[in-house]
Amino acid sequence: MTAPVPAHILDEAADWLVQLHSGAMADAEREACERWRRQSTEHARAWARAERLMDQLGTLPPALAAPVLERAPERSRRAMLGKLGMLAAAAPAAWIGWGLAQERGWVAEHRSATGERRELQLADGSEVTLNTASAIDVRFSSSERLVLLRAGEVLVHSAADHRPFRLAGAHGTVEAPLARFAVRQDAERTRVAVLEGAVKVEPASAAATVLRAGEQTWMSRDAVAAPAQADAALAWTRGMLLADRMPLAELTAELARYRRGVIDCDAALAEMRVSGAFPVGGPAAVERALSMLASTYPLTVHKRLGGLWIALETKKTGAA
Amino acid sequence: MQFAFRVRMRIILICVAMPTAQLALHQTVHALYSHHHGWLYGWLRKKLGCSDHAADVAQDTFVRVLAARNADAIAEPRAYLTTVAKGILVNTWRRQALERAYLETLTQLPPAAAPSEEERYLILETLQRVDAMLRALPDPVRRAFLLSQLEGMKYEEIAQRLGVSLITVKRYMKQAFLQCLAFQE
Repeated sequence: MTAPVPAHILDEAADWLVQLHSGAMADAEREACERWRRQSTEHARAWARAERLMDQLGTLPPALAAPVLERAPERSRRAMLGKLGMLAAAAPAAWIGWGLAQERGWVAEHRSATGERRELQLADGSEVTLNTASAIDVRFSSSERLVLLRAGEVLVHSAADHRPFRLAGAHGTVEAPLARFAVRQDAERTRVAVLEGAVKVEPASAAATVLRAGEQTWMSRDAVAAPAQADAALAWTRGMLLADRMPLAELTAELARYRRGVIDCDAALAEMRVSGAFPVGGPAAVERALSMLASTYPLTVHKRLGGLWIALETKKTGAA
Repeated sequence: MQFAFRVRMRIILICVAMPTAQLALHQTVHALYSHHHGWLYGWLRKKLGCSDHAADVAQDTFVRVLAARNADAIAEPRAYLTTVAKGILVNTWRRQALERAYLETLTQLPPAAAPSEEERYLILETLQRVDAMLRALPDPVRRAFLLSQLEGMKYEEIAQRLGVSLITVKRYMKQAFLQCLAFQE
């Protein structure tokens, strides 16, 4: 995680944005803005944020966005809390938890609970496997087969069909005529790995890249990385997480995806490299993974708050 | 999941506390949980009329308390916990309300102007993000910003529309831009 951009630089960037949108910026001022943003890497970073903001706003069709963003009613917190009763009454029958609903918006058609792996077959014969806490919408029409990845991680085996098969996520689209591939959507980027066949990975605002069997890549909204060799991206489909000298903090972050709550490790352990094939899936699998860690490495697993909080601490050795 | 992942990463990265401070925090959160979790669950169950929701929100509340790492600074535990729980509920309600407003607006568009399915989804995601960014702004500031950015209005026109001075509009725009920039990573 990089250091935050200093407040005064963000302030200056905001000033430039105000001027930029006043509709009256002379050439001399534009040049001054250019000079401003080339002053340092931090200035450049601040401007990169400004550009990302402008990109985001630019993708919103005004006719659609204005009525939605300018609506007033929900802004009163008190009014919303008054509606708590209504909120509960409107909940769907198979409720899988506020944590998930909070992130997704609640109209995703197919979802998996935390720690659940779910297999689906779509109308055209394609198969989709959802990993923990994932959600998709399926939108097949006469002209295309579209799957929307609302959250999480999926394995797709697209069937042969005259219609193109596309998986759309927060950062871009994957087009996959007859292929087996996995997609994982995180906050800032999406990872795509191909098992069989080939897919086209197209970020929201950048050129596409072709990905072939055995390759994987990352994409954000405006960039896609060069294809690299696929690692253990698909181990989860067999209920495993493969670690090869992975920092413990990273491993616990991964394990935490499969359970509700927090997995902490103390500072001394965070960078410790661990390797192994760890079971993932439901609570029992994560339990086994934690036991494996405790028996292989110098750490103890502490469960607190009824299991909501798991803390890995350096094992205290006896006095020498 | 993005939130939860970020929460966990933040926890892991903040994990440089001295051992004794960490122990104290553990004990505090533990005490908070044993003394108040049951009470919080009961309170939520009464409010929501559903035990499953209540259990989930109660859990989410404690996950947030853990993440905030400020448990030892809490003076009024029950007031604090209910505030966090309400924040979770309000946030969910907001997202649902935005999605409903979006779907309604979509139905009112003429077919020719309707975005493709895929675009609809991407737009919704962006709307949620932008809405979250602008949430904390006072109403006139937000309105001015949206009139400028979505409807392309000039500052003079906005000043007229909102019945304020041009300087005020520029002040609003600065506040909104600053908020958005601070929000971006």
